[in-house]
Amino acid sequence: MAVALQMRKPPMGGIGKRVAYYPGCSLEGAARAYDVSTRIVAKELGLELDYLEDYNCCGAMETKNVTFWGTMLLNARNMSLAKKQGHSVIVAPCNGCSFSLQRAEYFLETDKKVFERINSLLKEGGVDPLTEIPHTYHILEWFYHEAGPEKVKERTKKPLKGLKVANYYGCLYTRPHFYARTYSHGGTEEQERPRMRETADDDEHPYYMEALLEAAGATNVEFEPMHTQCCGGPHSLSDEQVSEKFVMMILQTAKRNGADIIATECPLCHASLEMYRHRLMMKGVPDVDVPAAYFTQLLGIAFGYGAGDVKLKDNLSDPIPVLKRLGLV
Amino acid sequence: MAIHERSLVDPERVLRKERLVIDGIDVSGDWNLIILPRVIEDYDLSFLDEVLEQPEGKTILQCYQCSYCTASCPVHNYWDERYNPRHFIHLARLGLIDELQKRADVMWRCVSCHKCTHRCPKGVLVEEVLKAILRVMAKRGIIEEYPSKKFDKFFLESVYEYGRIEDGELLFGWIEKQGYQVVKDPILKKPIPFMGGVPEWLKQLAVKPIKSMNIGFLILNAKHMLFHPRTKNWNRFKQVLRKVMEEEGVFTH
Ligand code: SF4
Ligand code: SF4
Ligand code: SF4
Ligand code: SF4
Repeated sequence: MAVALQMRKPPMGGIGKRVAYYPGCSLEGAARAYDVSTRIVAKELGLELDYLEDYNCCGAMETKNVTFWGTMLLNARNMSLAKKQGHSVIVAPCNGCSFSLQRAEYFLETDKKVFERINSLLKEGGVDPLTEIPHTYHILEWFYHEAGPEKVKERTKKPLKGLKVANYYGCLYTRPHFYARTYSHGGTEEQERPRMRETADDDEHPYYMEALLEAAGATNVEFEPMHTQCCGGPHSLSDEQVSEKFVMMILQTAKRNGADIIATECPLCHASLEMYRHRLMMKGVPDVDVPAAYFTQLLGIAFGYGAGDVKLKDNLSDPIPVLKRLGLV
Repeated sequence: MAIHERSLVDPERVLRKERLVIDGIDVSGDWNLIILPRVIEDYDLSFLDEVLEQPEGKTILQCYQCSYCTASCPVHNYWDERYNPRHFIHLARLGLIDELQKRADVMWRCVSCHKCTHRCPKGVLVEEVLKAILRVMAKRGIIEEYPSKKFDKFFLESVYEYGRIEDGELLFGWIEKQGYQVVKDPILKKPIPFMGGVPEWLKQLAVKPIKSMNIGFLILNAKHMLFHPRTKNWNRFKQVLRKVMEEEGVFTH
């Protein structure tokens, strides 16, 4: 694995050390542990998050499924706020949020009519129209490019020795390539946009999280193809049967590949895994008892912070015993 | 005989004989299965036009039916073979409304993972196209209200009202919608977590933070549920949102 990572190494930098931070609704509610630990990691790595004041929900999949123009408008408003704060880059720690913003970016850039209509609607709603469209990154990409494994290694005070991690990226981190610009193929001329291969993660085999955690001393277990398998996401409350099955496959693969813990990078995936893990355990399904933690929580611990600092107790799946066993907390 | 994408053939059209003798020759074994022909005459080409009118449906014509989307789809692979994005696109383009309607019970199950869109070699935004098809079906009344749509609208209401969502309120509000008796506080009329009827697994899940004395977490969530986080200056923007959504018919179907 380590050799493969070396070979795929992209250039560093290029996004900017100070960016607009769009936490999204979850991070200020049930997933505050992710917010807190993200801020810790950013501070340690010498990066600056500028909180996007007065943002609104990106609408996630749910709104997108019901209204096209409404969703565009919600995201355009956030983009306009970022511009107003003087940023041309937004980072979001949630797959859903970064997807929504990137999707809006795609339609605004490829369809002139959408751009014009949205701008006039923004004006009508009392928001500055967009002159330029900011680009959105997932926070993991930003950490990787602006700090990278070397910096993580340098900062690590308490290496995550012996911790076997399954890195779970969820669906929308690199998908679909038209929005995330992770790759470029097919499509018509209007759909072609400059690809961002240098800054985006590998589209089918993402590895940024692995690389960062490896630098912090952890051991990564094989987790393909479940690392990008959907957890049932937008249907996790409305279609419980499907979500339960998907989560079961994910957890069992992790367990059977020897993982102590699953590292996540999206509050929705994380909630879904924890919720269904609990239900599956109540049903007595075997091999589903791997706990989950945000990758930023694990990095925080490696940087010498305690379990309370990164709010490990907020995790319903309770990863503390596993970390205690290895003497990490 | 192996049938490629067997799930596309209606079971009543498949004839299988134990022994099959034709002109005195025993052709049992590989040749004992016959698919009856069918006659199709209800092509409705206006369906495609309506899909093309949706901003998400524009790329439907780029599809060359390679089925890479279906091969990637987790709902097809791990849940129900009848869920087949390639086939839905095919049916929508031909305007075979009856055939689409037959599959209405699985069509909503897409989990929006975007494997299909990501891998399509022709640049079809498959997931979006499927949602456009669903929307046209709903407009024409050939698909009933399905669970995920109920949830989507429920979620949308919260975004529309406050500009933000609150996970706890969403969860308990949804539980109430499912028919559980939820207790509400008298002043703000918000559901009080874990009072009244709540699914057993959820109750147990809630005991965990209490047991581990994680009171901060509980207080934060309770506070958020009672005083919903809001976006400032939302009202004027809300009017515009309402206008565009009305045009799209969000409130009518
Ligand atoms: S995707 Fe989720 S967390 Fe992100 S803004 Fe939307 S609702 Fe909030
Ligand atoms: S894994 Fe689930 S929650 Fe995460 S991005 Fe995919 S659908 Fe959303
Ligand atoms: S992958 Fe694309 S071109 Fe192939 S069948 Fe699916 S939508 Fe059509
Ligand atoms: S987005 Fe929907 S149709 Fe596409 S692969 Fe995922 S579940 Fe299947």
